[in-house]
Amino acid sequence: MRIRESIRISWRAITGHKLRSTLTTIGIVIGIGSIIAFMVLGGAFEEDVLGGFDTEDQTLVLVQTQGEVDGGFGFQTFSDPIYTQNDVEAIERIDGVEFVDPDGTIPASQVRRGSETTVSFTVRIAKPASFSKNVSGSFVAGEAFADEGEAVIDTELAESLGGNVSVGEEIRVTFTDGTRRSFTVSGIYAAENQAPGTGTSVYVPADPYYNVTVDTHRGTEAIAYSSLTVWVDSIEDLSAVQSAADEYFHSGESDAEHLVDDDKQIAVQTFDALLAQVGEIFDQVTIFIAGIAGIALLVGAIGIANIMIVSVTERTREIGIMKAVGARQRDIVQLFLVEALILGIIGAIGGVMLGIGTGYLLVGYAGFPMIYPIDWIVIAVFVGIGVGIVSGLYPAWRAARVDPIEALRRE
Amino acid sequence: MARTDRGGERTGTGVVAARNVSRTFFLGEPVHALRDVTLTLEEGSFTAVMGPSGSGKSTLMNLLGCLDTPDQGTIEIDGRSVGDLSGAERARLRGREIGFVFQTFNLMPRLTAAENVSLPMVFNDVVDADRRERARTLLERVGLGDRLDHAPNELSGGQRQRVAIARALANEPTLILADEPTGNLDSETGREIMDLFDELHAEGRTILMVTHERHIAERADRIVTLVDGQLERIEDVSDVVPSGPTVLDDRDAPTEPDGGEGA
Ligand SMILES: Nc1ncnc2c1ncn2[C@@H]1O[C@H](COP(=O)(O)OP(=O)(O)OP(=O)(O)O)[C@@H](O)[C@H]1O
Ligand SMILES: [Mg+2]
Repeated sequence: MRIRESIRISWRAITGHKLRSTLTTIGIVIGIGSIIAFMVLGGAFEEDVLGGFDTEDQTLVLVQTQGEVDGGFGFQTFSDPIYTQNDVEAIERIDGVEFVDPDGTIPASQVRRGSETTVSFTVRIAKPASFSKNVSGSFVAGEAFADEGEAVIDTELAESLGGNVSVGEEIRVTFTDGTRRSFTVSGIYAAENQAPGTGTSVYVPADPYYNVTVDTHRGTEAIAYSSLTVWVDSIEDLSAVQSAADEYFHSGESDAEHLVDDDKQIAVQTFDALLAQVGEIFDQVTIFIAGIAGIALLVGAIGIANIMIVSVTERTREIGIMKAVGARQRDIVQLFLVEALILGIIGAIGGVMLGIGTGYLLVGYAGFPMIYPIDWIVIAVFVGIGVGIVSGLYPAWRAARVDPIEALRRE
Repeated sequence: MARTDRGGERTGTGVVAARNVSRTFFLGEPVHALRDVTLTLEEGSFTAVMGPSGSGKSTLMNLLGCLDTPDQGTIEIDGRSVGDLSGAERARLRGREIGFVFQTFNLMPRLTAAENVSLPMVFNDVVDADRRERARTLLERVGLGDRLDHAPNELSGGQRQRVAIARALANEPTLILADEPTGNLDSETGREIMDLFDELHAEGRTILMVTHERHIAERADRIVTLVDGQLERIEDVSDVVPSGPTVLDDRDAPTEPDGGEGA
């Protein structure tokens, strides 16, 4: 029998029982939908974090405090101030280090520009040189601050302050300790590729505003930062610097290792390694979701098989008639396989639509850019086809074995 | 009506024979539906089968039509034992060489009259346009040219029977097995169908027809009578005296025992 005829006949059987066919495909729709939704979300997250820039060329080493996430996947980064000025200077003495950019925030309650104010913002410390590194973005106007009376604001903060901020304008920051300070905007920076939640910032020089101090194990009081970005002269020096810095923080000499909480570690990583670590978590979650989706698909397959067996039983008489007028076993197998296949494809298409729709909503909610995981969509459709075929095999075989004489005696 | 409609080659059914065939069904008690029946259908012959209800007529049809296999004895088609054929070969015979008109019609309930008639051609890979054309021609031939797109449940019993006849002719079979093809028809329509069978006979096809009505049976060359699963007698029609003036009350229920042929 021609495939086109089987499709026509099977399609009629499917549309003849719309409700039943719909229910049958739900397992597949959910299984494939959850995979696609997750892939959309994951892809969008990655796109948001990386934005397509080349991580391999980043000549930096990150020094961060990490710890386990309670009952969750992967790790978490902490911002306890433990990296002292002493540590910064020690790292800067390592061969191949260009400079160290310590990260820290200064508690502040309000920033105002003329009559515009906002309270949701962060004051971060930075070194002028770090702005020239492409990892964090580029200036849309002006340049880095040159002295302590100047500050850089990012484009998000500029928006919060009414937009159209120009270089040379004054902003007033009220710090949490009660002091107020005016800054001249020296530049407006478009921060790209940031992790979510780090936007809307004012960047100021650490000196003299940053004065978080800790008591070191040596009995001194020292300024301490929450993480360090170590800029390296060239890509060739990267791994040597990384291992030297790693060694330093585990040698007993650094202040940080004495200050770090017992359940946390100091991680010294290249950007690549950090992303690989994030990627690993991602993979774990993917396996978890794939497991759930797999169960849904299995349920879907059993659903299709079940419905098909019911349908074979119901249509025994029709199968008998078809055999009596010349259908071979393989024609009957073909008919039922095509029917299962169509159900599988419908389930896959429904799942892809559900997944993209759900992903779109989640991505919009999280503020990530929308992406379409084409490769996963293709895989999903093939999985749907596969599930259809596998679950149709047994019912089709049963249908093919129907004895026409017995079948025709049925009422 | 071109025979080139079909894909592949025709083998024809040639001489069709049942040799010492027995068929027993087991439903608690064994039911001997057929016992040691031997019957030969020469190519192009027209044979009527009579006998009371339950005497094994439909069982014999199913065996000759390659739908069922005997417990003992052999069915031979064109010199080959059906038991030696593969399932696919039997399906091919059923589809291409044998036209079956079932006692219970056996139409596909969800297909229209025209689609039902097309069905054997679907399994014979006849292209869509040819199928539709041929289905229309056949349905017109049985007087249903105006019911092409009706579902079986929108047709009367007699109309369904005629759809079943049209379907049996779809692939130009060389052997036609008709189980009470006029059972549900009024005498006028019944006569038209019998004229159709005469035409098919004249075209050289082999015909076996079950009937309860003597005057219908007498339009065949031979009348075979089954009683209790056994072959009671075979009469050549030219030998027998015509059974008086035909009574026009043709509408016997097919399940009613018909003992009237014992004259
Ligand atoms: N598949 C079956 N299973 C069990 N018994 C069967 C089966 N087919 C037929 N029989 C039995 O075999 C006997 C002959 O049945 P068959 O259908 O051949 O009779 P028939 O001569 O066609 O009768 P009618 O004139 O009523 O159609 C009956 O007693 C019937 O009950
Ligand atoms: Mg019968």
